[in-house]
Amino acid sequence: MPRYKIADIVFDARPIYKYSASICAKYEYVGDEPSAFSVVMTEDDIAKERALAPEFPDAYLESLALFRKLCDYALENADGIIFHSSAIMVDGKAYLFTAPSGTGKSTHTRLWREMLGDKAVMINDDKPIIRYVDGDFYVYGTPWNGKHRLDTNARAKIDGICAIRQAKENVIEKCSTQEMLITIMNQTIRPTDIGQMDKLLGLIDKMLKTVKLYKLGCNVSKEAAETSYNAMVKGELK
Amino acid sequence: MKIKSGLILREVADNFIVVAVGDMVKEFNGIINLNSTGAFLWKILENGAEEEDLVKALLNEYEIDEATARRDVGLFIAKVKEAKLVK
Repeated sequence: MPRYKIADIVFDARPIYKYSASICAKYEYVGDEPSAFSVVMTEDDIAKERALAPEFPDAYLESLALFRKLCDYALENADGIIFHSSAIMVDGKAYLFTAPSGTGKSTHTRLWREMLGDKAVMINDDKPIIRYVDGDFYVYGTPWNGKHRLDTNARAKIDGICAIRQAKENVIEKCSTQEMLITIMNQTIRPTDIGQMDKLLGLIDKMLKTVKLYKLGCNVSKEAAETSYNAMVKGELK
Repeated sequence: MKIKSGLILREVADNFIVVAVGDMVKEFNGIINLNSTGAFLWKILENGAEEEDLVKALLNEYEIDEATARRDVGLFIAKVKEAKLVK
């Protein structure tokens, strides 16, 4: 069975469709670490995803089912959560932009790449996994990388998280833990099991106290990228 | 009057929130923010209480007058009833 290592979690997976195998290809693992779990996909798994999103083809639904299994394992066993965001790395530190779909997360990190060139590396443009490791939060690339297919098989320590909304003028400010808590809860998978919910909330509690929190109103311009970069990377927001 | 089972109050980074777990997720899919007074009243309502009990508890806990306590409890009850969080 093929083996993969995503978010530093090694697992076996035998998908039914080629699509999942192809998107996971760069995460294939041939090392000596034992697998943490094993997935044999079934029609049942795909049917569960279809109930949530009937518009997608089965091959894509299967990839979502695989993602859900990985996220379930990560939360249960590896202090890991999925966070719907566009994650970019600059000088070894990661900056995450989050918002509901269609707001412009991907557009904003594209503006960073246009401004910074090779200095900026996309960790993941849509569904990265975040893990709490030895007192710090790290973001990991995953194959579930959004419509622009941007991800890197890498991890980086998270320096800041920014909630974005569309606005005429570019304005960035510090974000309260209350506001970011609601944002994160709306951009992750919420478990229904009480024990898992407490794990999720425990991780978010630590994350809100560990990383820097911002909120940005932005348009699509070079100035938008400069506004967030100057505050989040250069530390110009006091 | 009592908070429906499956609604849990938690403190996250000094904020009080309520979320649903288990079967309650089908009924309630949101997140509720509570201030410290709201959280205090919520904890009492989890065990079941009437309006008078909440007013008494609030007067006992905080340095406020009865009119203020009645108003705060009234607003709180109206909100939890409107959101169908109590039975």
